[in-house]
Amino acid sequence: MSHLKRETALQVHLKRLGSCLALGVVMAMMIGKHTGSQNDYGLGFRESVLKPRIFLFLAAGVVVYLLITFWPKVAPYLSRPGVRPLAMGALTVMAGYSLLRWSDTPQLPDTKLGPLAAAARGVGELDGFTRAFFGSIVPGSYWLLFLIVFVLGGAALILRNRALGWVVAVLAVAVGVWGLSAQLALRSFLKVPDHSTGGYVQLLGYLAIAGSAAVMAYTHAESADTRGFINRVFNWRPGFPLVVLGSLTGLIALLGAGWFAPLSLNAKWWDMTNVFGSEAISALTSAYLGWLVWVLFLGTATLAAVATARRNRSLGWAAAGAGILSVLVTLVTIHDFSKVAAAKAFDGATGPWQNVGVGPWALAGAFTLLAGAGWMVASRPTVKEIIEDAADSDAIAAGTSLNVTRALLVAVIAGALFYPPTATGFWQTVLVSEIGIYVLLAIGLNVVVGWAGLLDLGFIAFYAIGSYTTAFLTGTLPVKPPSFLHLPPLAAIPFAIAICLVAGIALGTPTLRLRGDYLAIMTLGFGEIIRIALNNDVKFGFYEKVLTNGPKGAFGIPHPHIKVGPLELTWGQNSLQYWYLLLVLVVLILLAFRRLENSRLGRAWAAVREDEVAAQATGINTVRTKLLAFAIGASTSGVAGVFFASQIGYINPANFVLNNSILVVAYVVFGGMGSLPGAMAGAAALTWLPEFLKDQVPAEDRQMWIGLIILLMMIFRPQGLIPARRRAIELEGLDKPKSPTPIAVPASEGM
Amino acid sequence: MTVDLSKEPAAPATAPGDLVFDVRNVTLRFGGVTSLNDVTLQMRRGEILAIIGPNGAGKTSLFNCLTGVYTPQEGDILLSGRVGEEQSPIVGLRGLIAKKRRSLKTHVINHMGVARTYQNIRLFPALTALENVKIAIETRQKSGPVSAMLGLPWQRREERESTERAYDLLQFVGLTRRANELAGSLAYGEQRRLEIARALGTNPGVILLDEPAAGTNPVEKRELAELIRKINEEDNVSVLLIEHDMKLVMSVAHRIVVLNFGGKIAEGSPDQIQKDPVVIAAYLGTTTEEAAEVIAEGPLVEEIDLSTSVLDDTSIEELIDETAENPQDGDLA
Repeated sequence: MSHLKRETALQVHLKRLGSCLALGVVMAMMIGKHTGSQNDYGLGFRESVLKPRIFLFLAAGVVVYLLITFWPKVAPYLSRPGVRPLAMGALTVMAGYSLLRWSDTPQLPDTKLGPLAAAARGVGELDGFTRAFFGSIVPGSYWLLFLIVFVLGGAALILRNRALGWVVAVLAVAVGVWGLSAQLALRSFLKVPDHSTGGYVQLLGYLAIAGSAAVMAYTHAESADTRGFINRVFNWRPGFPLVVLGSLTGLIALLGAGWFAPLSLNAKWWDMTNVFGSEAISALTSAYLGWLVWVLFLGTATLAAVATARRNRSLGWAAAGAGILSVLVTLVTIHDFSKVAAAKAFDGATGPWQNVGVGPWALAGAFTLLAGAGWMVASRPTVKEIIEDAADSDAIAAGTSLNVTRALLVAVIAGALFYPPTATGFWQTVLVSEIGIYVLLAIGLNVVVGWAGLLDLGFIAFYAIGSYTTAFLTGTLPVKPPSFLHLPPLAAIPFAIAICLVAGIALGTPTLRLRGDYLAIMTLGFGEIIRIALNNDVKFGFYEKVLTNGPKGAFGIPHPHIKVGPLELTWGQNSLQYWYLLLVLVVLILLAFRRLENSRLGRAWAAVREDEVAAQATGINTVRTKLLAFAIGASTSGVAGVFFASQIGYINPANFVLNNSILVVAYVVFGGMGSLPGAMAGAAALTWLPEFLKDQVPAEDRQMWIGLIILLMMIFRPQGLIPARRRAIELEGLDKPKSPTPIAVPASEGM
Repeated sequence: MTVDLSKEPAAPATAPGDLVFDVRNVTLRFGGVTSLNDVTLQMRRGEILAIIGPNGAGKTSLFNCLTGVYTPQEGDILLSGRVGEEQSPIVGLRGLIAKKRRSLKTHVINHMGVARTYQNIRLFPALTALENVKIAIETRQKSGPVSAMLGLPWQRREERESTERAYDLLQFVGLTRRANELAGSLAYGEQRRLEIARALGTNPGVILLDEPAAGTNPVEKRELAELIRKINEEDNVSVLLIEHDMKLVMSVAHRIVVLNFGGKIAEGSPDQIQKDPVVIAAYLGTTTEEAAEVIAEGPLVEEIDLSTSVLDDTSIEELIDETAENPQDGDLA
């Protein structure tokens, strides 16, 4: 008799339905108000489960059940042209409706669309058209409109009905424009300077929906080939997407965005000459604000466009040069007019670069994109060279992915350089002290975990060592350095690197003989030892003096300061300055590590990770190789420590808890082990997320949502956001031979 | 039984005392199981020495002792990996604090000129064929991580050299066209050859091949036989070969050592081994007398004819089976 009980089909379905419904209940308890009190433990349960809204969640569970059950029948529809843009557009609209602010008015505590619409729909001074959008006729009418557009769009895509497609396209644009016009009407009624983006974002989403419907109505393809389409665009004219993006950004910067935006003013580009007309601005700035900017913009855009269209190398270089020159001129202008404004202490400005609007920075970004387009044209082979190389299909395939990577690289550079100044102070702080520092740490841990394949759970210890080294060398610890070693923070970097190297080797030498889990436990212990030693103020029996100041930590670590000849740079409280310092550090480390990855050591790491026995037999000193990974990773962490200590100014052992070590591991795994862009993207995404969620969910729920996202990631994309080639192969099991190894074992094998 | 070595036909002319491996009375035990029992053998410079024996005879254990994976409890192993190097013991008392009998580390022995392949292929599957070979070549290079990070000129030169040498080696084993494919995606026989290329990348004086023909088809076997010859003759690398495929062994080996139950039972030229009743008895599981009768019926194994292309794939077991069943049909050649 079989011990295995075969489940009937009914049992399987019941189980599945039950799980989906349970999931719905869990989601119901995750979303919404449910903080009880000491005397009322049942509040959360009552609020989430015993209210009628539970049926919405149960319905969602049933939908999930149906999706799972009928997935093979559903899947072909999802690969139809237009489905992805529809989904992206719908998500964008939902984000615009539910997450973003629609006004900056101080009269309402919450200016997201929901509360704002509730307040606005009864205001008689607004025209009926606007009030209808906010729900004067049907409450929540904007959600209803969205639902109609989305359902009709979905129906058009699934039924492949061309006429319906065109209808949806027009309808989506109309609803989007209606939303934006409602926001603008409200804004002119409130007469408050406004930087909110809700209306624009929802319009973008509707445009994507309209685009998806139009694509379906226009195209004859049976199924979408997004990747093929992207590759064709990038192969057709390298740099073309960048030209489009750059031109659009530039036009928005010049025609829509604010240029000088202190709290009480939101001057556009065309207001600038009025605002600064009577002031003592330089001739260059005045020309720039008058006509020069258009000459530069149109000139660079035309150069880049022609260079891309003709695939002409010298024109490409010319576009790159013009773009970079324009960026410099733009920066000079920004500095000039903001200095004039600061001289008048306008809106509390204390120095240049303050109160500048999005416009000039976006324009600088646009120039960067155009310069990047020129560079892409100039650095890729011309049409003639491609025809000559036509036989080499490998080279063409490599060129395609290179095109996409380079375009992304240019976009990331433009964003990294010119997005932060436009961000709010809160986000600037987050960018530096959360995202930036953890990106640096993730790059370091990626060497250990990603490349050498060693699980290190005590990585934060090296960060602590770097920080305390800085504190020691700047003389802010109770134990003072000898006077010749009394250094400014940036000069502490080489010392921190050296000490972390030594610490890495000291930890590694006895432990690297261990494998896998054992090593992880050892490193975990090391991390705790360092933290507790700092906390307990390491005292040896014979040495009675206070060394590390215990849990109080070190105070007053000076900010970095560079003085080389005429050049003098001082960093203060402003996060933005640190962002650029950090950018320089990250770029230097990235350049070095990219070389390292493809060097003999990088390959040796891959070998040790894949098969340690074979690596040894090939002559690799595995202990030394692993030690180097530990040491190099540790020293990166040390650099991050120096940066952290000198930016924040005070450190204590509580900054270096075990949780941070585990988070860094999670970032690296989430982003894609062994991939530098992956580790950076993972760290950036997962440090950004909790800050973003601050506004969206109750504070104590944040970690839960992050956990959910990591969980989903590990289920559906275990190789991470941007996987490394080698690692992805290892994970997909492609490295296993496709057929069971010896296909036909000769009889002589049995001897 | 030990055969007189002076009659051996194909052995290369080397100085009589020039030994690569000098294995003296080696005994290896795992708990109560004796894997190698008082094995003594000598490998001369420049020869192809085959080690054969039934499963569990201790062949791979011997390889693992020679490469420092296991430390034999008794006996000495002297190694002179490359021409002109002094013989040095690879087993000795080592340790910083407490001296223990220990073998040299595998990678140290590798640096002394000993490269090996594995019975179950151990490539780095997620790396390309080229990278696999480069890794081996680069273990002999000097540049460190700092020069790699800064992209210093000598590091770039070494990188170029290793790529060139890797391509040379891939050409040597006939894998140039596969250079940029993942090692794991290569065909089985190609993986075997790639493993040999990787072993050659460390510039060895002696290469240990552990069942290189396992799982390959007749054409691949023939290529392999040619390759082993080429390694031995063109590169002057001594070859120590474990192989079950008798045709291959008889075609390429200069000398053969037979192990059974961890002990050496015979040593000699291919002809001598084929006619040795003790060996045949060990393989057939019969008495020596019965084996001698089988031998009398005729030659057991034909050699691979390296001048023609297609071979029939009659393995020794079938041959022995046929011989045992039909002792009258002696004409197998």
